[in-house]
Amino acid sequence: MMKCLLRKSVYFGSTLVVMFFLCSGVTFSQGLDKEISMEENIPTEEGLTVKYIASDLNGADLALGQAEPYTVNLQMQDLSFPNGGGSVLEVAIRGFHNGETIFFGIKWSDASKNDRAIAHAQFRDAVGLMFPLETVKVISPEKPFSPRMGDRGKAVNIWHWKADWEKELHVAGGKEHMEDEYPNMFTDFDFSPDPIHFHKEAFDSADLMAGGIAAGSLLSLPRGRSVEDLNAVGFGTLTSQENQDVNGKGSWNNGKWDVVIYRPLSTSDENDVQFVPGMSTFFNMAVWNGKEGDRNGQKSVSIRWRPLKIETVK
Amino acid sequence: MTLVHNWHLGRTMEYPYFESRPEHQFAAVFNINRCIACQTCTMAHKSTWTYSKGQEYMWWNNVETKPYGGYPQHWDHKILQLLWDNGNNPMEWYTSAEDKDETKAPYGLYNGDTIFELAKTKGLNQVAVGYIPDDKEWRFPNIYEDTAASEKTNYETGPAAESSELPEHKRWFFYLQRICNHCTYPACLAACPRKAIYKRKEDGIVLIDQKRCRGYRKCVEQCPYKKPMYRGETRMSEKCIGCYPRVEGKDPITKGRRMEARCMAACVGKIRLNGLLTGDYKKPDPKNPMDWLIHIHKVALPLYPQFGTEPNIYYIPPRWAPRSYLRQMFGPGVDEALDKYAAPSRTLMAVLQLFRTTQTMLSKFEIEDGEKIYESEIMGKKVEVYNDTVIGFASDGTEMVRVKVEEPTWESDEKRMITY
Ligand code: SF4
Ligand code: SF4
Repeated sequence: MMKCLLRKSVYFGSTLVVMFFLCSGVTFSQGLDKEISMEENIPTEEGLTVKYIASDLNGADLALGQAEPYTVNLQMQDLSFPNGGGSVLEVAIRGFHNGETIFFGIKWSDASKNDRAIAHAQFRDAVGLMFPLETVKVISPEKPFSPRMGDRGKAVNIWHWKADWEKELHVAGGKEHMEDEYPNMFTDFDFSPDPIHFHKEAFDSADLMAGGIAAGSLLSLPRGRSVEDLNAVGFGTLTSQENQDVNGKGSWNNGKWDVVIYRPLSTSDENDVQFVPGMSTFFNMAVWNGKEGDRNGQKSVSIRWRPLKIETVK
Repeated sequence: MTLVHNWHLGRTMEYPYFESRPEHQFAAVFNINRCIACQTCTMAHKSTWTYSKGQEYMWWNNVETKPYGGYPQHWDHKILQLLWDNGNNPMEWYTSAEDKDETKAPYGLYNGDTIFELAKTKGLNQVAVGYIPDDKEWRFPNIYEDTAASEKTNYETGPAAESSELPEHKRWFFYLQRICNHCTYPACLAACPRKAIYKRKEDGIVLIDQKRCRGYRKCVEQCPYKKPMYRGETRMSEKCIGCYPRVEGKDPITKGRRMEARCMAACVGKIRLNGLLTGDYKKPDPKNPMDWLIHIHKVALPLYPQFGTEPNIYYIPPRWAPRSYLRQMFGPGVDEALDKYAAPSRTLMAVLQLFRTTQTMLSKFEIEDGEKIYESEIMGKKVEVYNDTVIGFASDGTEMVRVKVEEPTWESDEKRMITY
């Protein structure tokens, strides 16, 4: 009976809650997101310096070896539903530019390589770099800028390297298919010695009957690159760009991912962050561990902006 | 979380978004008693929407055998177990007269936690309790087909009658027809961190925007009915789309009028009637067959109302299955619904004739009186059958169908009775 009363009070309580909000003039927030803390609007003191080194992609590994590594500490994402992550504690980043292209070298430990997302509970490893879209000089509690996913009116540019995209760069046709995950998928009714031929109609209909392909999603189509160029203005707003101009390469060895992400310093796309030698801005990072089911907000994040300096051309 | 009213539960409940009901709600009534598990509905669905690569395992419509079967395997056992929460959430109902309200709480008051409330009670890092079924669980649309549950083994069973006498058969199974419920409070929609899932204002159909989806599988995880499915080929999730082009009247056959979904129109057992509910559940239209069956006569019930999503596919429960099992599955409205179905009223008898007489969605019915043709007693209740005529109208007022309770029969001419 007590419990019964409890539920009924919820029923009446709702009216009171609504009245309270109407009277107090507070607007409802439909999100589940908590407010970010004061501390999160204070960038770290230390940051990354992107050195000027006259090298190119071929010499990138060597050049990155000469750059100072900077360690970004990561933690569980616990601000916006769904929470998660926290299995990767730190990521090391280095950077250099050659006056035309900016390179970031990123390394983190991950005992398992997860470079496919085809089966139901299969998730990819990934790493994300985030920059304020416009140049920002100061971030402070007085001049806040969410280090999470940006904010309304404070857009961010995100570069998202994906382990499965990296792998797909090197497979025929530029994309993996169902049969790569399920090599025996046809054997139940394999009347034909050539199953691909036997199932040709189903194969050919995929383009017609796939919402993702019809919608032109980069996730569904061969995209010829391993990094996605995105924008966001807060949680749940992540949007892929029309113009994709970030590239990357990565490899997994002995429990470590080693990824290089690069892009021309400046582009003609207004949705891209622009880098000018000599300038300072901020950056932030997140890592996804596919083995742990990480995806979207379930990720290991850094919760503070980090200063980013671009050395002048020497 | 905000507080919204869920009339299945007879109370307000917590949900991440405001109560925002559509103008009309896509709904259907499935009469479980008539289903023969021919799977024509399943194939109608398959050949329309999921015959392509990456969808091999997808059955947006499936018919499973209860109590053992399920697609994905054990989906309801698993959700019930999660919701049961080691006995901390006994999922009780209060059904006294004072707990009921004609429109707002017709079945009484649900006193347990819903999937949303339990996630909050337990402090989970997500909107609703749930899980992602693994590859193996998705293999069979009707595993344990026709496998009966029985209190006794074959050797112990007494006379056949014991297993097949109403009100409850001692040995039983039944078919459960399942599609996405186009819920009023979709858990899939609530779970999506990208707001890639939306519920249409005009007909309440719930869709995944294939431009916004990023394959996070949060909907797969948190829909308690397990109806969003991940398509490995495109790396995103897909779900039943309620055949929305047909519902919009885009198929030329119905001349611009709303048309029933494919799985509904194909039903051989004539168990399905598909239509739109009046958006305001407090003002059901007594002339709308959906409103009448669900809100007014209450003969058709929601599937697992305790989950809290206010699902919109309604079932006339099977007469022979144990009541306790049915109450768990369809809520406390089961006894009233079965009493009404077992000894049907004159109106119910007439409305049931509308099932599968036309592909056009009917939004109004009228009954013309006919003469009494039959009288009997069922479970101690007097039943009189009248040969009434029921007329179904499309939303534009056009008469679409006119049928009598007694099915017309013709006797062949004696000359044609050739014997060899
Ligand atoms: S049944 Fe599942 S997929 Fe369909 S609307 Fe409800 S929660 Fe969403
Ligand atoms: S078509 Fe009708 S009778 Fe056949 S399985 Fe489907 S719901 Fe049952």
